[in-house]
Amino acid sequence: MVIRKKIIYAILILSPLICIFFSLFIGRFPLSVPLVAKILWSKLAIGSIYLPDKYDTVIWEIRMPRAILGALVGGSLAISGAAFQGLFRNPLVSSGILGVSSGAGFGAALAILIFNSTSYTYIFAFCFGGLAVLLSYLIGRVYNTTPAIMLVLGGVIVSSVFSALISFAKYVADPYNQLPTIVFWLMGSLASARYHDFIIGGIPMAAGITGLIAIRWRINVLSMGDKEARSLGIDTALNKGIVIICATLATAGAVCVSGIIGWVGLVMPHIGRMLVGNDNRLLIPASLSLGACFLIIVDNLGRLITGSEIPLGILTALVGGPFFVYLLKKTKGGGW
Amino acid sequence: MIEVINGSFSYEKSGVFKNLSFQVNKGEIFCIVGPNGCGKTTLLDCILGILKLDEGEILINKKQIKEIPPREIAKEVAYVPQIHTKTFPYTVLDIVLMGRASHMGIFSSPSAQDRDIAGQALELVGLADFMNRPYTQLSGGEGQLVMIARALAQKTPVIIMDEPTAHLDFKHELTVLETVIQLVRQTGLSIIMATHFPNHAFYFENNGINTSVALMDQMTFSAVGRPTEILSEDNLMSLYQINAKVVSCLLDNNTELRQIVPLNTVNSRVTFEEGCKI
Repeated sequence: MVIRKKIIYAILILSPLICIFFSLFIGRFPLSVPLVAKILWSKLAIGSIYLPDKYDTVIWEIRMPRAILGALVGGSLAISGAAFQGLFRNPLVSSGILGVSSGAGFGAALAILIFNSTSYTYIFAFCFGGLAVLLSYLIGRVYNTTPAIMLVLGGVIVSSVFSALISFAKYVADPYNQLPTIVFWLMGSLASARYHDFIIGGIPMAAGITGLIAIRWRINVLSMGDKEARSLGIDTALNKGIVIICATLATAGAVCVSGIIGWVGLVMPHIGRMLVGNDNRLLIPASLSLGACFLIIVDNLGRLITGSEIPLGILTALVGGPFFVYLLKKTKGGGW
Repeated sequence: MIEVINGSFSYEKSGVFKNLSFQVNKGEIFCIVGPNGCGKTTLLDCILGILKLDEGEILINKKQIKEIPPREIAKEVAYVPQIHTKTFPYTVLDIVLMGRASHMGIFSSPSAQDRDIAGQALELVGLADFMNRPYTQLSGGEGQLVMIARALAQKTPVIIMDEPTAHLDFKHELTVLETVIQLVRQTGLSIIMATHFPNHAFYFENNGINTSVALMDQMTFSAVGRPTEILSEDNLMSLYQINAKVVSCLLDNNTELRQIVPLNTVNSRVTFEEGCKI
C-alpha cells in the first residue's frame, strides 16, 4: 500500500511536468527537437551558445509561460471542483457553484465596457468573482449557520443574476469592438499568457491550491454533513470557510487570466475518483494533476488543429466529453 | 459523567422539553424511550453541544458544556447517527479514521497510530476484514457497526446513539445490541441511547448491564429508573396509549428474562379473542 501510494504521488507530480515539457515543442513556429533542447540548455549553461533571439522568445516568453499558466489554471479549476464536491456532498457540483465564474465574467465585461480595452479585465474579473462568492455565502447564511443546500441555492441565485448582467453588458456594448472582445473573453483562452499573469492570477491560484492540499483530509470529515462533522470535533464554520476561501482564490485566479473554462472543474474530479478513489487525501492532489495535464493537452490541441486558435472553453468539452465516456466504459465507474 | 440539570429547550416558540434533569454514570446504559417527535433527538443534540439549552445546564465531567470548545466535547462524547446519508464510497477504514479528527490539527492527516486505533475499533465491532471495502456496499447492520467503530475510534468515555437499530432486521438489531453490551463490559463505556423499542432496555438489563430507562413524554421525563420498575404496563399505557403485557420467564441458567408484548392500541377496533391468556 505504502509503495503504491508513493508511485501514485510520483506519477501525479511528474505528469504535468512532462506535459509542460512536451508542449514546448508544439506550435505554429517550427522548432526542431534538438533546437529546443539547445535553447533549454543555453539557459542553464549561461551564455555559451549563441542562438537567435526569436527562438529564445518563442520558448521562454510564449510557450513556457503559457504551458505553466495552463497547468495552474486547469489544476486550480479541478482542485476547487473536487473540494466543493466534498464540501457540498454532491458529485454534480463544480468549481463555479458559488457563482465565481459568472461574477468574474461580468467583471471582465464591465472592465471592457468602461475602459474599452482588456487591460483591467484581470482585476475586475478577480474582484467580481470574489464578490459573487461572498454574496452567495451571505445569502446562504441563515441562523448563523451555513447549510450546504442554502449555499448552493445562494450560488444559483447569484450566478443567474450575474449571467443576466453579462447579457446586459453584451447588449449595451459597442457591437464592432467591445462585443467581440467580451464574447471571446468569455470563451476562455490562454493565448495572451505572459509572465505578468503569474503575479495577478498565479499568486491567488498557488495560495488556494496550497490551502486546499493542506486541509484535504478535513474535506473527508466535512462531507459527512454538518452534524456528524461537529460531533467528530470539527469547527464546521471555520473549516468550511477555509475551503470556500481557498477554492475561490484558486478559481478566481484561474478565471481572471484565462476566461471562463467549463467542464474541467466538474469532470476532472470524477476521473480522479475513478482512478484513485474517493479519499480526498489522494483525490485532491490527483484532481490537481489531472486538471493541469488536461488543460495543457487541450490547449496544445487548440493551437494545432486549425490555423487560428480554437477557444479553450469550446475544446475542453468537445475533447473531454468523449474521453470521459471512454473512461466511464473502461473503469465501469470504478466503484463510483 | 454527564449531568443535565433543569434543562429546557424550544424551537422558536414551540417548546420541546422543560426542566429536564438526569445523570448518566460510568458503565451505564441510559435508554430514552418515547413516542415519535417527543424530542429525543433534540435532547441528544444538546448533549453533543450542537444545540444550546435555553435554560438549565449540562455538565460533562462537572464542567459546563458551554465552556468546552467543540473539539474538546468530541473527546468526551461520540455520536452514532440514526440515519447516515452515504454520499461518496469511502472505504470502511477511511470512515473510521474520521473518528480521530478531534485528536488532530486542522492541516494534518491521520498518522500510523491513528490507523492502529481505527483498526482496533473495527476489530471490536468484528469488522476487521471489511477495512478496505467501500462502505456504501455494506448492509444496513454492518454500516451501523462502522458508525459505532468510528465512535469508538474517537476514544470517548461516553457514546450517544440515536436509534441505532432503526431500519435493521432481527439479526442485525441483535448484533448491534450485543456489540453495545460487549463494549460496555470490556471498556466501561457509558452509553446514552434513544430508542423506539423499550424492550432494548430489558435486553440490556437481562444481560446484567447497569441500565436506566427514561420515559420522555409531554416535554419532560415522566419516569426514570431501572427498567423493571419503570417499564410497567401502566406506564406504557400512558406513554404510548397501548395495552401491553410485561412477561417474564426463567432461562436455563436461572436468569430472569423480561420482555414487553404489545397487545393493541387503546382505540383499537381489533381486540384479542376472549379468554386469550398470555
